[in-house]
Amino acid sequence: MTDILTLVFKTLTSRGELAAVDDGSLSAVAPARSALVVGERALSRTMLLLAAVTAASESGLRVFFLTQTQIQSLPVALHSRVPGLTPAALKKIKFCYPRTFEELLVQVAGLHESSHSPPSSPALIIVDGLECYLCSPAPCTSSRLQTSEQCSAAHLSALLCDTASFLTQVLEKHGSAHAPCRLITSYQPQRNSEQSGEASVDSVLDVLDRYFQVRCTLDQDRSYESTSGGLQQVWNIYLSSCLEVKETSCKKDDMESKEEQPVQEWRLLLSADGLMEFKLAQKH
Amino acid sequence: MHFSFLPSVAEQLFKDIQKIYQDTLKFVFGTCALQALDLVDQRSVTCLSSPSGRRTFQVTGGSGRTYTCFVSCHFCPCPAFAYTVLRRNEGLLCKHLLAVYLSQAMGVTQQEAVSDQEMTTLQPAHRE
Repeated sequence: MTDILTLVFKTLTSRGELAAVDDGSLSAVAPARSALVVGERALSRTMLLLAAVTAASESGLRVFFLTQTQIQSLPVALHSRVPGLTPAALKKIKFCYPRTFEELLVQVAGLHESSHSPPSSPALIIVDGLECYLCSPAPCTSSRLQTSEQCSAAHLSALLCDTASFLTQVLEKHGSAHAPCRLITSYQPQRNSEQSGEASVDSVLDVLDRYFQVRCTLDQDRSYESTSGGLQQVWNIYLSSCLEVKETSCKKDDMESKEEQPVQEWRLLLSADGLMEFKLAQKH
Repeated sequence: MHFSFLPSVAEQLFKDIQKIYQDTLKFVFGTCALQALDLVDQRSVTCLSSPSGRRTFQVTGGSGRTYTCFVSCHFCPCPAFAYTVLRRNEGLLCKHLLAVYLSQAMGVTQQEAVSDQEMTTLQPAHRE
């Protein structure tokens, strides 16, 4: 999945910046099949749409895109920046709008039936807005409800990962160059009240981190120097491996924070008219 | 397994092996190890497969409830997995998932064929 995200970033990098980006600098994060985008809802959604369109047009992947809210139009950033964007490429993306958690489970569980016609098997599964399906709208104060949300998060994540694993076998069995089947989802931590604290938010995200290999964190840079008088937004994008963080945490005996260590950073310049430009910042 | 057909020395050998495995499993997996071995003894693990090639596992618990578990990653809808593994992070697996691994390792998993539609409806079953 990191290859798809990196392709998105490179596609929307200016020519001058792209010349400075070499493959060696992009190898900080190990190749992964699944990624979790964590951050502000609208930007995550745009990022996932970019991933879908880029994968379909540049890599020829068949994409299955699930989201609760219907997509009315493609982001402005796509209109002139994705070279291979054609109606034929867009037809490779199948959009599905499950309204509830249960409907989402059924849609994902039914993907295995496409294996009878391998060309229709998706090579990229995208689920936008997990919080819409997992989290209750009210602040979660009950431990029982927190456990229920965690279990739902685990069930959905495991089903997605297991389905992607099965579709990988199908693609490989038929000699498809599009294997493995990749998975990308987005999740926005909820802003709960002081009474509920951050326990319920962290608990769901902690469960999601068990199943997805890479976390892509979107963090807005609110420093004065970056806003340029409010004409654009600047976002820091961190790609970090969840598995490496967990193994590192287990080896240490001290009680250091289990916050992830960012290993690769991009910067996103978002103009008021919706145009996007990525820059490779630094790797740690 | 029909121990009565084996010489007594072989029967004792298998009992010793069983004891060693129980101690090692218990050390690694805690109290659910013996519970998982009981499930294996009862042949509680079934591998369901459909014409599409999709596979999943079902484990019949001690209470008679059936839990649908995944092959490639860890999830079980039982309360123990939700509380001990996910919430408290105090266990690696629940007894049902461990029973799946043990049954596969020992070659005692039951096999059952289902239709593609049945497979689709099985996996969203959130609670049994």
